[in-house]
Amino acid sequence: MQLPEDIYQRIVAAKLFIDEHYHEAIDLGEISGQAFLSRFHFHRLFTRIYRSTPHRYLTRRRMDKARDLLAQQGLSVSEICNSVGFESIGSFSTLFKKETGIGPQHYRNMRIVQQQQAKAQPRTFIPHCFIEGYKLNRQ
Amino acid sequence: MITKMSHTSLFVLDQDKAYDFYVNKLGFKVNTDVVMGDAASEDGSEEQPPAGGFRWLTLNTPEQPDLEIILMPVVGLEPDAQAAIRLLLEKGLMGAGVFYTPDCYATYEELKAKGVEFKSAPKEQFYGIECIMSDGCGNWFSMTQPKEH
Repeated sequence: MQLPEDIYQRIVAAKLFIDEHYHEAIDLGEISGQAFLSRFHFHRLFTRIYRSTPHRYLTRRRMDKARDLLAQQGLSVSEICNSVGFESIGSFSTLFKKETGIGPQHYRNMRIVQQQQAKAQPRTFIPHCFIEGYKLNRQ
Repeated sequence: MITKMSHTSLFVLDQDKAYDFYVNKLGFKVNTDVVMGDAASEDGSEEQPPAGGFRWLTLNTPEQPDLEIILMPVVGLEPDAQAAIRLLLEKGLMGAGVFYTPDCYATYEELKAKGVEFKSAPKEQFYGIECIMSDGCGNWFSMTQPKEH
């Protein structure tokens, strides 16, 4: 059943609030406030629209950003944990391993090796048929 | 037997603009972004690409990490073939596929707020709720929320 247009706009505003403030200590009250809805009503509508509770969506955003930062050099794993909004390195590492299958440091090492290989041997990442078909070695 | 698709290519008029659309607006993830030509002699080939090289840029949708969408510039083909593809892209005529969304109305509102251009607003079809969007680089896509059975 279609909801009124303004309800969609309000739920989307709250989703975008999470996207922008995931690294802060935001809670359901603050998020539902962006939609001008009660916590209960907001939780029900958000979960219906995104097939995920607001809390799970927030956690997913934080994990996505952590993966992006781990692929870059500069911040330590502990600094990344804090910068994406997790309070405990222990719970971050456990959750990361549960979702990704490997720990954050292992993930970082793997991504760095991949990037070094991509830079040194880009052809190992490109199916040969594309190199031949589009004459990429002559571009 | 073939079990799934691993790569699919999408011609785009401008890779940087396409990157902005798919990554920054739609939220797709970069899978591979390398320049071929920086390491031209990696395999001992005598053929040397010019400075700058070819950018191999592939993306994944957030929940489909094993399908790489290649953002392909129009290069390497016969001049008439390139001109034909460019013409279709310039006219925005390339129908490139269907993206899944759990809620078409909400995603439409979000993407509209981010400046995405739509050819049609969400509409109920017999298979679900669908709208049509443009990537601004020559392609249009259906964005569909399938009917729940």
